[in-house]
Amino acid sequence: MLVSLNWLKDFVELPKDADGKTLGNLLTLKTAEVDHVIDESADYENIIVGQIIEITAHPNADKLKVTKTSIGKETLQIVCGGENIKEGMYVAVACLGAKVKWHGEGEPVVMEKAVIRGVESYGMICASIEIGLNNPDEGTHDILDLSALKPETGTPIKDVLHKDDIILEFDNKSLTHRPDLWGHMGIAREVAAITNSKFKPIKVSVKIPETGESVDVKVKDFHLCPRYCGLIINNIKIGKSPDWLAARLKTTGHGIHNNIVDVTNYVMMELGQPLHAFDKTLIQNGIVVRTAKKNEKIRTLDGKEYNLDENMLVIADSKKPVAVAGIIGGEHSGINENTTAIILESANFNHSSVRKTSTKLGVRTDSVQRFEKGLDPLLAETAILRATELILQICPEAKIAGPITDIQKFNKKPLKITLDLEKAKSKIGADLSVQEMKKILESLEFKVTAKGKKTKIFIVEVPTFRATKDVLSEDDLIEEIARIYGYDNIEPTLPSLPAKLPLQNNERTKKHRARELFSYGFGFDEVYNYSFYGLNEIKKTLLVEAQHLKLQNYLSEEQTNMVTSLTPNILKNLQENVKNFSEIRIYEIGHTYLEIGQYFPLEEKKICGAILIKGKSDKIFYEAKGCVEAFIQKFNLSHVAEAKGAKNTPYAHPIKSLTFIDHSGKSLATCFMLHPTVQKNYDLEKYSIALFEINFTEALKLEEIKKSYKRIPKFPNISFDISVAVDKNVEIETLKSTIKNAEKDLISDIKLFDIYEGDKIESDKKAVAFSITIQSEDRTLTDAEMAEAQSKIFTALENLGGKIRGKNY
Amino acid sequence: MQETLKRLEQDAMSALEKADSLERTREIEGEYLGRSGHITMILRGMKDLSDEEKRVIGPLCNTTRKTLEDSFAKKIKEFEDEQLAKELSKEFFDTTIPSSTRPLGHIHPLSQLQEEVERIFSQMGFTVADGPEIESEHYNFESLNIPKDHPARDMQDTFFIQEKDDADHGRMVLRTQTSPVQIRAMEKYGAPLRLIVPGRVFRFEATDASHDSMFYQVEGLLIDKDISLAHLKGVLAEFLTRLFGKPVKVRFRPGYFPFVEPGLEVDFSCLLCEGKGCRVCKHSGWIEFMGAGMVHENVLKAGGIDSKEYQGWAFGFGLTRLVMMRYGIDDIRLLTNGDLRFNKQF
Repeated sequence: MLVSLNWLKDFVELPKDADGKTLGNLLTLKTAEVDHVIDESADYENIIVGQIIEITAHPNADKLKVTKTSIGKETLQIVCGGENIKEGMYVAVACLGAKVKWHGEGEPVVMEKAVIRGVESYGMICASIEIGLNNPDEGTHDILDLSALKPETGTPIKDVLHKDDIILEFDNKSLTHRPDLWGHMGIAREVAAITNSKFKPIKVSVKIPETGESVDVKVKDFHLCPRYCGLIINNIKIGKSPDWLAARLKTTGHGIHNNIVDVTNYVMMELGQPLHAFDKTLIQNGIVVRTAKKNEKIRTLDGKEYNLDENMLVIADSKKPVAVAGIIGGEHSGINENTTAIILESANFNHSSVRKTSTKLGVRTDSVQRFEKGLDPLLAETAILRATELILQICPEAKIAGPITDIQKFNKKPLKITLDLEKAKSKIGADLSVQEMKKILESLEFKVTAKGKKTKIFIVEVPTFRATKDVLSEDDLIEEIARIYGYDNIEPTLPSLPAKLPLQNNERTKKHRARELFSYGFGFDEVYNYSFYGLNEIKKTLLVEAQHLKLQNYLSEEQTNMVTSLTPNILKNLQENVKNFSEIRIYEIGHTYLEIGQYFPLEEKKICGAILIKGKSDKIFYEAKGCVEAFIQKFNLSHVAEAKGAKNTPYAHPIKSLTFIDHSGKSLATCFMLHPTVQKNYDLEKYSIALFEINFTEALKLEEIKKSYKRIPKFPNISFDISVAVDKNVEIETLKSTIKNAEKDLISDIKLFDIYEGDKIESDKKAVAFSITIQSEDRTLTDAEMAEAQSKIFTALENLGGKIRGKNY
Repeated sequence: MQETLKRLEQDAMSALEKADSLERTREIEGEYLGRSGHITMILRGMKDLSDEEKRVIGPLCNTTRKTLEDSFAKKIKEFEDEQLAKELSKEFFDTTIPSSTRPLGHIHPLSQLQEEVERIFSQMGFTVADGPEIESEHYNFESLNIPKDHPARDMQDTFFIQEKDDADHGRMVLRTQTSPVQIRAMEKYGAPLRLIVPGRVFRFEATDASHDSMFYQVEGLLIDKDISLAHLKGVLAEFLTRLFGKPVKVRFRPGYFPFVEPGLEVDFSCLLCEGKGCRVCKHSGWIEFMGAGMVHENVLKAGGIDSKEYQGWAFGFGLTRLVMMRYGIDDIRLLTNGDLRFNKQF
């Protein structure tokens, strides 16, 4: 909202030189945010009134003239191309240092002494557009003629043109809760309170006749319309508004229409009460305030037609709606150039109803903006009187037809709140005196009843313009005291609280440790993805749509469903990043949301990691497996077992997949190569992709292994290697357990160090090499014992169909 | 005999002194200590001496040999060191070849900052709390004093989940703020309460360089007896000063949020210009940072806390915005689009 400082001065006694910046800052700190302070005069510095004394031809240019122009103390030589210049004419002179827009275009430039076609020029005689004015009567090659104003030479132009206002631009959001601040008078009341100045509330003196013609008004629903004031004014002559009124409306960002509409807007900007004027002749048999009928329609002042419903309040005549109450007027019944009689409406509408209707119709107007805050019903009366006063002033021939029709039903009992002063001080954290608090509340027109200087309680009566929605409780009063006292005066203080340890959030801590493990341990980069994906992603990863929560409103087709797995978005990351990287390791820690037939979905925290390399290789599967194992080891998870395959993971390769389960068989983690179909769906066929998924929520439920020290063996161990050729489909785990079982007591470690398949071996075989360590706790093993162990292992492997390499058969 | 030994030692030492190469030193060593060297010969002749002579000459002979051996060893080492140094200096070795360990991965900047924030508040005794990202209208709005047709519901355009409606819970929403965790924590732990909630929130609004439909917030809540706005100022200044590593001032302005009363906008002093005014702070000297205020009595009531006995404040700030400020990131979408050219910078 734009607020004019000059206008404010109608309602508050400010020092004449009140500085806009300081005031804006003060309002920001105590009332509501002032985004910008615009000094209108700033654009007119060094632009003053001059009088052309002499005009001579320019020696080198036909279209230019050389003038002698007086600016009071001195006379300047100025070259000018204006077609309308005459000797004796009063003009606007941009002296050296002034900022002007050449021919009204581009950025402002600073005037300097110039030589124009060989003639020196000390300034510029300006056209309106060159100094930011709009004068439609001025020809394209004309300059601004000020002669009619008879100004004194040397007077600053800002004074002549009344460009001396300062505009405060409020952030509307910061006025959301303040119904009283949507007009100049309300802002002035605040300004008075925060600057300790005198507030001058509006005084209206207009005589309303006691008899005569009144509007017939029927209000059908007082909840939606607690008050409706209507007044007929005859003998209206529609015309232009006077300059002072138009100027104020322009300054505060309003368009200019005609004297009647302009007055309604003026009063709205002054008092914060929206008004509406109907052409009386276009209203049939009085006003009915009612909800719309089914299928009723209205064409409004914005030229659009709206379908109304039964929850929407309308102003109607006997035939049809003539306005959507508090939102916008109807086109048919509006003021037009032939209007001679008007019905002036100043009403109070239910904030919530106005808001709902406005949202439903998609219409936001200045009126909605005010009504939705919850206006004071008493304001309706003040506003209609003020508007009438102005109309009579502007159209002296206009005649009030009769008394104001005032239909009302609202609670007039004043709102009183008990304020506990100790509580106020304790919440603010400042030691305010009883007097101080009383003074603050009274400066905002709260009525305070206090018993003595040492009272601990105030009974506070809330002024009606604050009592609709804004100030309803003790805390609201505390806010009034705190902000006017000044938040800046509150000293930062650290609370003295017991040195109690905060509750542990194990999951959070471990999440950070997991990040360190994957990023700093294994070289993975962490990514963040959205919590949604689209049907396309669901299809591409072979997931089931029905298990997904679906968004009712979404921003794009790629964001329609809540994720049940982090993998699809991770695959998208891979797809995007292969353009720039030939090898990728990434992971994400995030939530998944699974529909489980209850109100709240199953929301779990997951870790998903992916490894991508160029070409075909399964070796990264084992890296993914290692990541899961390291996670289990890092967090000491107990009783974790492996199971083949990966259930409920349709994007996993059916064979190249592994699940880590807990003792009850619940899946904690999986690692897998990507399913070839999915790989194809993501155009990643040229790569190998391994993934792991860890159910972080489930994994952390597992008991931690309690570590205890095992004595380091005193006696040396012996290591030996064996290589065995077996059928390709014999698993390493089978070989390892065979070896272990052959010499249970002595074997302390079995390490796989090579798997060979190739031309040096039969095509259906592979050679597997292990390094085996034997160890005894109570003696040094002999060569004979080693030979015996070796031979047992050989036999066991041979029983499995293996052939020991290097042994003669 | 004794004299012979002494002479031999002197001769050997002077020869050694003159030796100018490793080869020459080895030659001299051979002459005296070799298989048929002078000293060796004497030692070998010892067996022919009488017991009396052996007793005298024996130790002397050994001492002389030891002295010479040490001297030769020392000299030889000098020559060897010199030679090695010469050889090594001729070698070519390229230290500029890139390292061969797998490079470290990168933790997302949001995670890094989040941990910092959590650590600072933990040290001040705040619990780090969590809550679901999918919420009910009850927790996300009603219990926070934002009834159905409240304008604040427009301020936070909301994502709704289809076919989820319940008499108690209302519709199901993606939480628009971390504040619902306030209520959940009050219900679970009661008062007093000191916690922060860093987490993901959602807004149904079009995405551009400075707006995203998903971002991170940090909620703070302190409920106890006699907790005031002065404490809020104190705690926030302490937090920001630690976070930025230099003194930071905090400024309150009136603000409106339905779940607090009094409600505040909180600014902190611009770190770049230190309050003098610059482009970053739009020449105000202050950076708009968060919303805060004293917890509304309706909110305490919704969380089952007696507002006669307990009072406190809450605040909420954008972690995402803080990350963008810290690293000068000019497009919020970079944080969630997974482009590793971005993620690898942190």
